[in-house]
Amino acid sequence: MLEQVKQKAREILEQKQAEGVLGLKKGLWDVIHPHVFSTPSEIDALVLEPKWLLAKMARALLREQPQNWRLAVVVRGCDERALVELVKRNQIDRERLLTVGYACEANQAKTCLCSRPYPQKLDAGSAVEGVDPFADERVKAYLEGDAGERIERWAAQLKRCIKCYGCRNSCPICVCVPCKLEDDVWVERGVIPAEMVSFHHIRAFHLSDTCVACGACQEACPVGIPLMTLQLSMRAALKKDYNYEAGLDANRKSPVLFDFVKEPRPGQDVPDWVNSMGEKK
Amino acid sequence: MSVDRGNVKILVFACRWCGLIGADGAGRKRIELPASYRVIPVDCAGYVEPDAVIRAFASGATGVAVLGCHVGGCRFNDANHPALKRLELLKTLLDTTGIGGNRLLLGFGTAHESHQYADMILEFHRAMESMPSMASWLPQGQ
Repeated sequence: MLEQVKQKAREILEQKQAEGVLGLKKGLWDVIHPHVFSTPSEIDALVLEPKWLLAKMARALLREQPQNWRLAVVVRGCDERALVELVKRNQIDRERLLTVGYACEANQAKTCLCSRPYPQKLDAGSAVEGVDPFADERVKAYLEGDAGERIERWAAQLKRCIKCYGCRNSCPICVCVPCKLEDDVWVERGVIPAEMVSFHHIRAFHLSDTCVACGACQEACPVGIPLMTLQLSMRAALKKDYNYEAGLDANRKSPVLFDFVKEPRPGQDVPDWVNSMGEKK
Repeated sequence: MSVDRGNVKILVFACRWCGLIGADGAGRKRIELPASYRVIPVDCAGYVEPDAVIRAFASGATGVAVLGCHVGGCRFNDANHPALKRLELLKTLLDTTGIGGNRLLLGFGTAHESHQYADMILEFHRAMESMPSMASWLPQGQ
């Protein structure tokens, strides 16, 4: 798989499809770090592990480089979905972006509870079956029980928050400047642990229709709060109501931005205007 | 006439074209209403950010109601559709964490429905009376 990715990356650079390839490099002293490969000979040092989401980095690179500079990114499934979401939000120009997609292995998918551990544009490796996150014990433990039990369980977790903003910073899609989580109007600053209701709910809700379930927030959290679990039920609701899944189609925007005529929902009827004479227009 | 407030605090975001006029009408008709709610007029239900609802809970509200025009009868054509979609998604989140989606009331009516408005608020007040207090999840002093 690694060889296929390297081959593809070399091709891109040799044929001048892009000026740089963003991927992970095993550098000095075997330290692995993100790197922009700009010559085909450099590609030998490319590696795929560990999981490291590069979407936000790709956005930053493309923003500071000139308009004709194109970038190819070595992506996993989640990374590709994050890039699609950034394209939707006009954060990345899709003309300047190429991807080299490779599929995750089965045990990686299991660790991430990923339901789609492969990119849509698959260049290397073979896609493995996704995992249903709701069937997992770790997730079930937080979604089970009545409201009283759940709030106790979540409060116990969220009260450990040290408000490092790691969840926001590591999220490939959280790119707003200014951020509401730094604003006194929405979240009281200087309070540790972060307010359970405002901080965590605002953060989770902002990503409700955007979350690509990459799990970066959860991995970044130094105290191990299962943050991705917060998103799962909202993702499931969007899937059920509107058959929408974030990060799949760059041309379909979130259904919560539109009315019920454009993005209908089964069981929701939109009556016509009714006037006082009872006539329908 | 009013029903005793108890510990319930309800914040109502009412659209000024329908919900707010309904509330006015209920007051003018001297319909029995709980004393536990306060109304914030907004231009449209679509104007109410879900973040504002979350902030209301964080500031100690027991329940939050968002009132707009009928779906299909919005002053701004379809602005309340996204509002309904967004807030229903927020209900999902509140259910997940156990705060409870039933603390958020979504009501869609017209300006002349003041009796329905009073019934709805009274029923919501009764439902909120039995909900546990949020005090222990909030920072001290609220």
